[in-house]
Amino acid sequence: MKILLKTIQLQIKNSWIRPMFRFCLIVNPIMNAFFLYHMFLQSGQPNFLSYVVLNAGLMALWGCICFSSIGDIERERYMGTLPLIYATPTSFGLVILGKIIGNTFLSMSSILISYLTVKLICFERIHIGSPIYLFLSFLLLIISFSSVALCIAYLLMLSRKTSLYMNLLELPIILFCGFAFPIEELPVWAQTISKCIPITWVVKLLRMSIDGVSNTEAFNRSFGICMLTTGICMVFIWVIYKVIDMQIRVNATLEVS
Amino acid sequence: MMKVVEVKELQRDFDKKTGILRKKKERITAVKGLSFSVNKGEIFGLLGQNGAGKTTTIKMLITLLAPTSGTCKVLGKDVYKDANDIRKKINFIFGGELGVYRRLSARDNLLYFAGLYKLPDSVAETKVQELLELVNLSKDADRLVETYSKGMIQRLQIARGLINDPEIIFMDEPTIGLDPIGAQMLHNIILGLKEKGCTVLLTTHYMYEADELCDRVAIMNHGELIALDTPANMKSKYSLNKDQSLEEVYIQLIQYNESNREGKGGEGV
Repeated sequence: MKILLKTIQLQIKNSWIRPMFRFCLIVNPIMNAFFLYHMFLQSGQPNFLSYVVLNAGLMALWGCICFSSIGDIERERYMGTLPLIYATPTSFGLVILGKIIGNTFLSMSSILISYLTVKLICFERIHIGSPIYLFLSFLLLIISFSSVALCIAYLLMLSRKTSLYMNLLELPIILFCGFAFPIEELPVWAQTISKCIPITWVVKLLRMSIDGVSNTEAFNRSFGICMLTTGICMVFIWVIYKVIDMQIRVNATLEVS
Repeated sequence: MMKVVEVKELQRDFDKKTGILRKKKERITAVKGLSFSVNKGEIFGLLGQNGAGKTTTIKMLITLLAPTSGTCKVLGKDVYKDANDIRKKINFIFGGELGVYRRLSARDNLLYFAGLYKLPDSVAETKVQELLELVNLSKDADRLVETYSKGMIQRLQIARGLINDPEIIFMDEPTIGLDPIGAQMLHNIILGLKEKGCTVLLTTHYMYEADELCDRVAIMNHGELIALDTPANMKSKYSLNKDQSLEEVYIQLIQYNESNREGKGGEGV
């Protein structure tokens, strides 16, 4: 637990110090919020501002996770620290988990930045229907985003082309998980994929909380499915952990070739 | 004499895929049938040309790479199956400027690795200060590593390699990038480690360094072992003239091995 906290602390420090990360964390949600505000302005939705805040923040959050949590594998590989941390007695999975949680925590501030941006653009009150449910959803957001990022980061350990996959992953998740528009707009086959990703359910929970939870049963059902898909993701990580741990030593993917 | 490193018929192959549509698989053998052992408290040198397989051998010994075949044991444990048991008791230093968090201070780097090696907080602080003094970095300990010179980064690497008081330390070209004073400092550290009973396995291209430090040296070429003995025996066995240095003997052995390989159509000696 101590090393997990130390890694989280180190990761926050390391990420914040990088200009590119600060750009993704600060400028990205400002731009997202600005463009989404103008896109949603004519939507006729009464609570469209909260959607702008949420969508802009989530898009920036995923961007930060993609380019930092997952990109960290690549960065550590180039810095030559990946083999060093791998060969310590601490579980490598725990170190990667610490990095991802640290980044997810820090990246969540993009939602706050998109909130401030929207406030600055229109000075209107942004209504949150169920603040307690929203808080619960944010807790689940950390867990589900971290588990998905951990799963991807671990799979990418098998390859040296991390940056290529990292770029390929950003947009599909935004589209599949309903960051910019509801998944019901997607074709049925795509909706099936969406429903298997825990992030989709977290986005749904956040939206329900902002609108105000009138149907507790529906919220609980989505919460349960989110927990279930996150759980499946974690079991999958557990299963592949040993295999990947062995494979990276067989395939020699810890270092730059 | 207790053997802390045992390598028997060790082999490591790398598969390289080329081509986009019609993929071709090419197999490169970096280490071929290597056998040697290292005794407890010994300073053992692994010498060889670039690409001879020294670094690959070290990477297998420090549990970073899986052997393709053969036996590779450290402290009696298998490097592939019992990696976690081995990692607590060993450490390693790679030459060069990589392997540090450049946006952190030297102290933060060391404290983080102290955590990864599971040192209690109370011990870690003292140990880090002690190591910073040992490598002469205490004055610059709180500066970001990105402001460090090449030699300072290398000294930090040395400190990191000693953070867990390893029973065996593996050093891959540790004096690369070090100025003569830095190199001398490392030599003293290595000799100090030997006095404490620590085993050191190092690779180097500096033959005078191997001659000065090593109890025994192994010479590798094209992944194979071509000679293994004490530097003194190596010089007396293989010298063509009187007073030949280890470097001259090394060059002769490599050239002899190369000409034999050419004669045998590229096969090992």
